[in-house]
Amino acid sequence: MTDGRLTNQIRTLRFLHGEMTQTDLGERIGVTRQTIAAIESGRYSPSLEAAFRIADVFGKRLEEVFTWERPAARSRRAKSGG
Amino acid sequence: MFGLLDMLNPLRSDLADEPLPTSHRERVARLSLLALGLAFVPYFALVALDPPTAPLPDLGSLLRFAIAAGVQVLILAIGHARLRLRQPEEARAAADERDRAIAYRSLQLAYYVLLVGLILVGVVMPFEDSGWKLVNTALFALVGAEVVHQAAKVWGYRKGWHD
Repeated sequence: MTDGRLTNQIRTLRFLHGEMTQTDLGERIGVTRQTIAAIESGRYSPSLEAAFRIADVFGKRLEEVFTWERPAARSRRAKSGG
Repeated sequence: MFGLLDMLNPLRSDLADEPLPTSHRERVARLSLLALGLAFVPYFALVALDPPTAPLPDLGSLLRFAIAAGVQVLILAIGHARLRLRQPEEARAAADERDRAIAYRSLQLAYYVLLVGLILVGVVMPFEDSGWKLVNTALFALVGAEVVHQAAKVWGYRKGWHD
């Protein structure tokens, strides 16, 4: 497996969309609220189709919701406390 | 937009440390592990301490196994009923892509355990052993594979496969 990690802005986007619940988002893309929680916390990488569906719910492009973080970028962010 | 999202980053900074909500399928996997443990740990402990020596079919040994299987079925029935009563909507929900991915990965792991058990029971042991020793080793392989299957599911739901 290559290094790096898929991160996302789903929780922030839910907050910005009237505090949409994980259940609401899950229902709109056809997964359970537990799966949304797992995606948000980075413990499950969604299929490409589910990722597109999530981006579509928020009216965003895929890369505005999901970002591939290289290890170097992660360590820089950790050092800066972000 | 990215600027605003970055400003709101504290909302997601500690997400990886948060406990995930438990899904119905994870509860079922935990229940299955509990049932296997309560039914078959005593059974295999008894078999190890007092191995059956009578020729097949040995009704006493069959009764032991029937009791173990009965205990497992009883625990599963009561547990499933309770889970369905407490969260009927989640129990009715179809499996989503994460459920299917976890089921696939856990079955893959269990398959290897079953394969080793099958080779042991069907290819290696018949040269020297027979009777209940073969039967119980086969049962041990089946139960072991199921334990790995359910434990891998729980692991998948708790930790994910991307750590």
